[in-house]
Amino acid sequence: MNIRNCCFVIGFVLAGFGAAPQVPRQANPLGNGSDVVQAGRALFNKTCTGCHGVDAGEGSRGPALAGERRFFRLSDGAIFGVVKNGIPGTAMPGMGLKDDDAWRIVAFIRNLRGTASDNDVPGDVEHGMTVFKGKGGCLACHMIRGEGGTIGPDLSSIGAQVSLAHLREELTHELPIPQGYAPVHAVGPRGEVVDGIAKNDDDFSIQILDEKNKLHLYDKSTLKALTYAKHSLMPHDYDKLLTPEEFQDLLAMLSKQTRVKVHIAADRENEAGR
Amino acid sequence: MRIGKLIFLLGCTASLAAQVTDKQLLEAPGANWLHYNGSYDSRRFSTLAQINTRNVNELAAKWVFHVPGAGGLETVPIVVDGVMYVTQPNEVYALDARSGRKIWEFHHVGPSADRGPNRGVGIYGDKVFFTTPDAVLIALNASTGNEIWEVKLAEPEEGYWSPAAPLIVKGKVIVGVAPGDRGLNGILDAYDPVTGKRLWRWSPIPKPGEPGNETWAGDSWKHAGEDTWLTQSYDPELNLLIWGIGNPSPDFNGDVRKGDNLYTECVVALDPDTGTMKWYFQFTPHDVMDWDAVEIPVLIDAPYEGKMRKLLAQADRNGFYYVLDRTNGKFLHGSMFVHQLNWATGLTPEGRPIRVPGVEPSLLGTKVCPSSLGATNWMSPSYDPQTGLFYVVSIEGCGIATKSTEQFRPGGFQYRATGDVLIHDDSWKVYVRALDMPTGKLIWEQERIGNDFWGGGVMSTAGGLLFSGEWNGQFVAMDAKTGKILWHFNTGQHINAQPITYSVDGEEYVSLAAGGDVFSFGLFEPGKTAAK
Repeated sequence: MNIRNCCFVIGFVLAGFGAAPQVPRQANPLGNGSDVVQAGRALFNKTCTGCHGVDAGEGSRGPALAGERRFFRLSDGAIFGVVKNGIPGTAMPGMGLKDDDAWRIVAFIRNLRGTASDNDVPGDVEHGMTVFKGKGGCLACHMIRGEGGTIGPDLSSIGAQVSLAHLREELTHELPIPQGYAPVHAVGPRGEVVDGIAKNDDDFSIQILDEKNKLHLYDKSTLKALTYAKHSLMPHDYDKLLTPEEFQDLLAMLSKQTRVKVHIAADRENEAGR
Repeated sequence: MRIGKLIFLLGCTASLAAQVTDKQLLEAPGANWLHYNGSYDSRRFSTLAQINTRNVNELAAKWVFHVPGAGGLETVPIVVDGVMYVTQPNEVYALDARSGRKIWEFHHVGPSADRGPNRGVGIYGDKVFFTTPDAVLIALNASTGNEIWEVKLAEPEEGYWSPAAPLIVKGKVIVGVAPGDRGLNGILDAYDPVTGKRLWRWSPIPKPGEPGNETWAGDSWKHAGEDTWLTQSYDPELNLLIWGIGNPSPDFNGDVRKGDNLYTECVVALDPDTGTMKWYFQFTPHDVMDWDAVEIPVLIDAPYEGKMRKLLAQADRNGFYYVLDRTNGKFLHGSMFVHQLNWATGLTPEGRPIRVPGVEPSLLGTKVCPSSLGATNWMSPSYDPQTGLFYVVSIEGCGIATKSTEQFRPGGFQYRATGDVLIHDDSWKVYVRALDMPTGKLIWEQERIGNDFWGGGVMSTAGGLLFSGEWNGQFVAMDAKTGKILWHFNTGQHINAQPITYSVDGEEYVSLAAGGDVFSFGLFEPGKTAAK
């Protein structure tokens, strides 16, 4: 059985387990504070990596929990039951942990899936905003709560939309260009040159937003030239551009941008086993 | 593509987004359609004439945009410089008006998305404005949909929500709330478009000590209803907002609110700078049939009895067509525009209805015509200055109206004290009617055959056409002079919204929302090929 199939089976069993009516939808009695998460992480990396990999990221015999969406629909109580008792008939054993330690691991597993705002990211938020507006130059392209540029995504809710790991990755690695932000260079029917991003396009038309927040809507057959850039406009060297403190403060500030808490509503809807 | 150059530019240039100016908002509809009702005078008459009586039979669908998850759309598209904005509750979509391709979408996460419909956006400067089922006014960047600010209009937990498209007047965002059927007193607000700060609030229910409070028996003014749920009109010369106001609560039992119940069922004129009332006219004093007077007041400058007058024409839900002098709200003319009207025999010289005793909701039920749906409703009328005709969608129909005793309950519960059972017999019919503007005389009528419900409102154009979307899905173009049907298209779903027209690069389009989709039509071009 390859890992994918293994994941599928275990996930399926887990989901079924979570849905069983006798399992209470119990919340983690230790909470999900960063100390609990950190303790859970230490325990996890001591106890579970043999199958699930370091930080649950590369499972060699068990599923890589960090990337497996279905686990996170389970209630805390359901995950606790699996950690504590295992899943009969599978390779997942009961771990023989004390209850508190099992709950710490639950907090860690939940946290893997959580958004950046679910983490208590250390750092000076106010200074992070100063970096955002100043040295980082982020404001030229990004908006937070009505202030800033529009050629990049609005970050007013970014803390509630992506994981902390993803947020860090955005700042330090070149990632694929998100839909609606592909840089394009067009020469229009009257010879006008438009540089901007393609908010949308298909075989026949293209909708370009330029750097002055102006839209240019073209029938593609009328364009004299159209080229797509291969790389995102998003710089990805902030770990080098900023000092470690500035970087951490920026990360802390971004993690706290939660204008719309979409994930909270979604969590409520996707209770265990559904 | 020189990314370095673009980033450099971003760092150096101030943001210069497309701007919608006060001057543009004053113009009659042409290439752009900037207001819910097309223009401040709410005539829904477009100056575009490329599509006209001679070629309308060549009209073909250009594109369809499906609004995800939508049904029963009532949004009226707003178009500026080739960008179209459409809505459903909690959501705004910006589309390429030539291709129907989406540019951006915005979702407001609110607690109560079930309160619909949403009727569209207002636009000003570089922002679009819309309101939500949880009574929030939101400003978005018009190019990207980025949220700039939001402000709560009223408490959604109490039952308030807001469906109407904001009206932008003199740099103010004018918005109202719904519905009065829950005993919630209405408001009309003005907000600063840049900051979201409230500039004034007008409360239609006079409090004790204020003029008009004596028209409410006892404490009945406290749960009086009176909402502001439809976008209305503005007269720039007189500097007056002309606004129709909703019904009193409880809707069908007036025993607890004896008196005329001001300013329900009125059209009021407000100073847009301060929100103070200049005059009012009440269509249905002490209404007991839920006949909100929010039907759109159409502002017309025309000869009346030999003299140029500033007129206001309104076909009211109560079945009478009114012409007022809009400088002072004085009644000039009133006549029935439906045949089935039994609650009044006519109007006094002051415009007050002469009621027929006993034709009102009763414990056992009384036949009242028109029904509580009214002789017309939220579907927009149109005035065509070329024909001098006022076009209105009307229902001939009655209901058996009953009343009961009901206590107001806080929390947004209905406070109607029952209603009426519609009599769907052979006499129940839906029409588009063309009235002679000053006299209200019926010039022509076109029955919406096979329809037992409203459908959308109408729009007239300089091309001599009247467009009309029917409940059964037919989108129809008529000769505005005669009512003869010249073109039709079956959208395959209920139409409950009004059509608009616009042009991009010299090509005219006609567009409307039907069911869960937005359609756009233009003249068929056999020679045009779509190349990659």
